[in-house]
Amino acid sequence: MYRPKIIAFLCTWCSYTGADTAGIARLKSPAHFRAVRVPCSGRVSPELIMRTFDQGADGVLVLGCHIGECHYDSGNHRTAKRMPVLRSLLEFAGLEPQRLRLDWVSASEGERFSRIATEFCNEILALGPARWRVSEDQYRTVKVDRPPISDYTPPVFDQTLFDKQTDGMRKAAQELLSSQQVDCVIGYEEDQRGRTRPTFVYQPDDCSRLVWNQSCTHNLAVYLSKKLNPNGAYNSLRGGPSVAVVVKPCDSRTINVQLAENVYTREQLHIIGMTCTGVKVQPRSNGYLESLQGTQLQQRCLDCSERTPLVYDILVGEPPDDLPDRKGISSKALKITQLNAMSPTERMDVWLSEFDRCIRCYACRQACPMCECPTCLYERDDSLWVSAVNGWGGVGLNEKRTFHLGRAYHLAGRCIGCDECERSCPVGIPISYLNQMLASEMETLYHHRAGASLAPPPFVTILSGEEGLT
Amino acid sequence: MSRIQVAERTRKYISREQVLQWLAQLTGEMGLIAPKDIDGYVFYRKIDDADEILLDYTKPVLSIKDVFFPPSDKLFLIEKSAEELKLLPHPRLKEQVLFGVRPCDAHGLQALDAVFISAEPVDPYYTQRRENSILIGAACREMGPSCFCTEMGSSPDDTQYMDLMLTEVDGGYSLEAITERGCILLNRISFPLEDYYPKKPAESAPALPRYPYPSIESWLDHFSDKYWEDMSERCLSCRACAYVCPTCRCFDVRDETQTGDDGSQMYARIRCWDSCTGSAYRRIAGGHNPRPEEAQRLRNRFYCKFYYFSQQYGPDACTGCGRCIDVCPVGVDITEVLQHITGTRVAEQNNPAEVGVL
Repeated sequence: MYRPKIIAFLCTWCSYTGADTAGIARLKSPAHFRAVRVPCSGRVSPELIMRTFDQGADGVLVLGCHIGECHYDSGNHRTAKRMPVLRSLLEFAGLEPQRLRLDWVSASEGERFSRIATEFCNEILALGPARWRVSEDQYRTVKVDRPPISDYTPPVFDQTLFDKQTDGMRKAAQELLSSQQVDCVIGYEEDQRGRTRPTFVYQPDDCSRLVWNQSCTHNLAVYLSKKLNPNGAYNSLRGGPSVAVVVKPCDSRTINVQLAENVYTREQLHIIGMTCTGVKVQPRSNGYLESLQGTQLQQRCLDCSERTPLVYDILVGEPPDDLPDRKGISSKALKITQLNAMSPTERMDVWLSEFDRCIRCYACRQACPMCECPTCLYERDDSLWVSAVNGWGGVGLNEKRTFHLGRAYHLAGRCIGCDECERSCPVGIPISYLNQMLASEMETLYHHRAGASLAPPPFVTILSGEEGLT
Repeated sequence: MSRIQVAERTRKYISREQVLQWLAQLTGEMGLIAPKDIDGYVFYRKIDDADEILLDYTKPVLSIKDVFFPPSDKLFLIEKSAEELKLLPHPRLKEQVLFGVRPCDAHGLQALDAVFISAEPVDPYYTQRRENSILIGAACREMGPSCFCTEMGSSPDDTQYMDLMLTEVDGGYSLEAITERGCILLNRISFPLEDYYPKKPAESAPALPRYPYPSIESWLDHFSDKYWEDMSERCLSCRACAYVCPTCRCFDVRDETQTGDDGSQMYARIRCWDSCTGSAYRRIAGGHNPRPEEAQRLRNRFYCKFYYFSQQYGPDACTGCGRCIDVCPVGVDITEVLQHITGTRVAEQNNPAEVGVL
């Protein structure tokens, strides 16, 4: 007979005692449970749940105190906010969403515990064993259909438009440096091969190096935390050096997020905002987009209608007003719809095929302006969240998937969609699908758009009136 | 592996269809690793179905390094039961054929062999994989925009380390046996092949170096340059350059517990790729990091390639494949470093064959 493996994380102040109450009252509860006693449901981190499934769990049940009854005031608020998002992420990666359940049971509700536990067990029994864990030597790859590329033809802009902006940017930079308002200007330059890349200018005379064109894809905010907060996170908030940075509209939202997270202060930063018509596909974009290099706009730009940065000190260039609204025409939007239409099993195979290519170079993480942890959770040597097993197929796939899903989750409500992770990936894993899916989830659930304002991301705040419990 | 004198080598003419037919046969006989398209990216991967093999490709994303020195290698497993502790050794590898190896990748074996085979202690895992692999090279049609193999002592038709070499000639290929082992494989082809006579002994004009190649002494004067700080400021400390490199061979060794599918506990010693560009690479017990800055780490990468490695083992640890240039998300360029060390720079962007002096 099939005996499902069900892990139940029970809060010691409520549901753990609730389970006891059920036992004392001699109520029937299923025997497939392995109860893990935790100090608070807020302690049950999403990483823990993902690893539980990686180890072969068929279902995970998290039971906490009713809202308003948390022993630590707001621990269960965090759980309440996290779980729906985590469930959507796992569902998007191919897990049946019913396998993860969050509910509330107080210490006296023995009957409620018994009912929820029985319900959950029956549901898992009906679903059968989970296919989530990839076992030794298993190799699951499917041919991934790339979505058709939209036939949108971007308007061709006169080179003088960019030359004018380049001039304006150089002048602004020069003035900031010669008046010693800033120590450094972070902008773009062209290298010998004609590729545009980030550059750091310290002398007013060197400003002629700066350029602005449709290859300025890098999100320069990635350098800000290191520049402005060189001693590590959150300990030198006053009186640090000041720099100027060149930003596109998307990058400006990054700055809003970093400011909301106190990575540096607004006074340290001088923002040279550029009006933007979209950046083009770079030589290192998705393999199947290769034919579009240098001609087609990046997929993210097809879905973007922001033309002016949200936050800036100087604005360079007139906001173009004759651009059609292109929201939702990218192949990315199409692919996410396609993925959502698949069965969980099909979706899981697609993602495993994509993650299989990962070489764990961590370029995605390093290129991400939001990945600011001094030591990544997945690279700590004092607690092994992921094993070092790498390579193609087999158990290493669990580790790769955990890293990518974990990273995507950490960016929920913080990722502004600059797609630098995807562009940096040497093997073209479409990481941005995960980010975009979570971004729309955060918008639906918490009405939060990353970087649209200085509002902190939803996961660090408690539930507000309109945020429902799902 | 004994190489055959150039004059005595067997050369056969083989058509495109015949190549695929031959590879299909090999797939059945022994393990075959060949270029394969995976969602628009080309990788050397194990081939189950000969239809997957690519004949027209430029440079796979990763070099063939991972065949000999995998991203993670379980050196041994310890199985623990109530009664005993059992040590499970590394599985022995069967003979395998690597098809479509690019000369730059094969050239990378020079550096890997120097570390894993020629220097003590000899690495048994690497050695075994090298011995059990037959390399069928594929000459490059032309050099790509980021290639500079000619500067690094190789060339698009270099046969070094190959057992057999496939070169495109008038509508088909010439298949040349470079070693005895390659000759045996060639003779085993079940259908008749005509001899191929090169029209002229290949006497290609010496290619002009596009990038200057610095002497080993010249590196000594540049260690304290401010250049390293300036050029590395944009470095993101990822490891993409090292992981795609055919010669980067740094590794980390971890002991981990592993749960089997049946819930059993095992202990594995794992050797996995590591890279000096990552910030944790030099961190030591107690948390001290002797190389905390990107400038130090990136400088180390280039000094290792052209100075430390050459001093310790002889050859350079760069083959000029240009993959690090292709994958770097922020445009760090190894050929710029070479130009800095020699004090020259490429004069014309459009005509990189001309080298100018600063």
